[in-house]
Amino acid sequence: MSAVSRPVVALLVSLTIYGVVLGSFSDYMKLKPIEEKLGYLPSTSFLRYASADHKELVGASLVMKVIMYFGGIAEKQQANVIVQPPDYRGMSGILHGAVKLDPYNMDAYYFAQSFLTWEVKQYKIANDLLDYGMKYRSWDWMLPFFAGFNSSYFMRDYPAAATYYKRAGELSGSDLSKLLAGRYMQEAGQTELAIAYLTTMEKGERNQSVRRNYQLRLSAFKEVRKIEMARDRFKEAKGYLPTTVEQLSQGGFLSTVPLDPYGGQFYLEADGKVATTSKFAFAGAKKAAKQNAGETR
Amino acid sequence: MLSIVRITLKGIFRDRIFQGIMALSLFFVFIPSVASLSMRQVTELSTTLSLSLISFIMLLLAVFLGATSIWKDIERRYTFSVLSLPVSRSTYLVGRFLGIAIFMLIAALFLGSAAIVSIKIASLTYPPARPLLWFAIITSIVFDALKYIIVVAVSMTLATVSTSFFLPVFGAISIFMAGTVTQQVFDYLHTPSAQAAVSAAIRKAALVLYYLLPNLGGFDLKVHAIYAIPLNTQGLLLTGVYFLAYTGIVMSVGALLFARREMK
Repeated sequence: MSAVSRPVVALLVSLTIYGVVLGSFSDYMKLKPIEEKLGYLPSTSFLRYASADHKELVGASLVMKVIMYFGGIAEKQQANVIVQPPDYRGMSGILHGAVKLDPYNMDAYYFAQSFLTWEVKQYKIANDLLDYGMKYRSWDWMLPFFAGFNSSYFMRDYPAAATYYKRAGELSGSDLSKLLAGRYMQEAGQTELAIAYLTTMEKGERNQSVRRNYQLRLSAFKEVRKIEMARDRFKEAKGYLPTTVEQLSQGGFLSTVPLDPYGGQFYLEADGKVATTSKFAFAGAKKAAKQNAGETR
Repeated sequence: MLSIVRITLKGIFRDRIFQGIMALSLFFVFIPSVASLSMRQVTELSTTLSLSLISFIMLLLAVFLGATSIWKDIERRYTFSVLSLPVSRSTYLVGRFLGIAIFMLIAALFLGSAAIVSIKIASLTYPPARPLLWFAIITSIVFDALKYIIVVAVSMTLATVSTSFFLPVFGAISIFMAGTVTQQVFDYLHTPSAQAAVSAAIRKAALVLYYLLPNLGGFDLKVHAIYAIPLNTQGLLLTGVYFLAYTGIVMSVGALLFARREMK
């Protein structure tokens, strides 16, 4: 074999092996459990030293990693493919690490707020993170706006919420925060508060997965609001609270049967509060369906 | 000396390593589309990526040009012909250094212009929440160039005593890495928890290193450039004077060592 033909043969053999293995390798990577892809984060102190003068870049790439990971799972959930729920603890850990590297990174605060509250119910952790961000992003109205919403809607801490909203109003110069501060500082206005918040968030969102998430929640809350208004009309007319949602539709108080976009069923609690079997999450709907199947069996 | 500076600049522009490293600047084209993945800070992300890319390219240029310039001359025995002319060794060394330093500033100008274009494109597509602070962006790039000129000085000084390019290349990278964190270590050692946990001897050794190694943290103004945070003029002036003093010290030591070096 000549000196020229030998490397050509070697190249052809390598290309053939590459071609054969490429398809199986891609399939293997596609099927690899999504949890593995979130990966392991070295300690933040180590990253701070190792990233030299690229702390902002490393911070941004950590946030991107979490957004991509979540986007992959959210898309599957919305397409009704059964997947494990996202590793929220891991996501939170990485985002906390990212803001230690770059305390100004808005994507990290924004994304942490979107899942630490509704999905994970870690309101205190969410507000601590927002407080940390406010120390740096002292010009940003969004962080106190988020913290104000968390305080009033989830934690029912109205004095703290009023302080946050006041700050958000001062920084933004818009009336929205002031409006929220005054109008919804009461138990009765909770659903309206959530609708106002979600509408603001959904409008400004560019990431399709996150936007779809907000849209779903928003449509669920609009349905809740419809039931609440029907419930109030029922009580006014009959003098007592209805016990089921069906009572409202049969009595003509609801024109259509409200649909939970998460796949659950709306019901009324003993005190008249509107709830759903899905708990406003896809995982919740599946769990409830499983329980129901168990009960009937 | 001027002719040495001129020859150095000409040599760099002809060098293949330089051409390869500058090819990396093609990545600027992709920055606006990569940055659009951000949820809330597209312009900020595009500034982050642009400044990091500049920093990375300049580090490669500083290390390779600083480390190989003197070493290559000695290896190819160019130094003998140059030093046989009526030029002192220090003049030769400083001429080489100035040539590379001027080149670093030219590279910063070129890369900075590319960065400004890509940031502008991102900001036009997705306007940032806060108006861009162009002065901070440009100052950040200039101070990045000054930082890497220090790295050039360090690697050239190491090259004056080394017989291979390993010491100047890896020595300069190590000193660069250490130089970016000395301030963090210094700040940590002054916290109450470190006072209790770290022994007095180690604290003293760290303090000596803090003053010995270049404090490159002061030259990193990325956060000001990315998030439009106003710069401290007095701090910038102090950093500028620090740059002149530190570079002067390192190059003087380099000249002294080079004068004593045996050429075979």
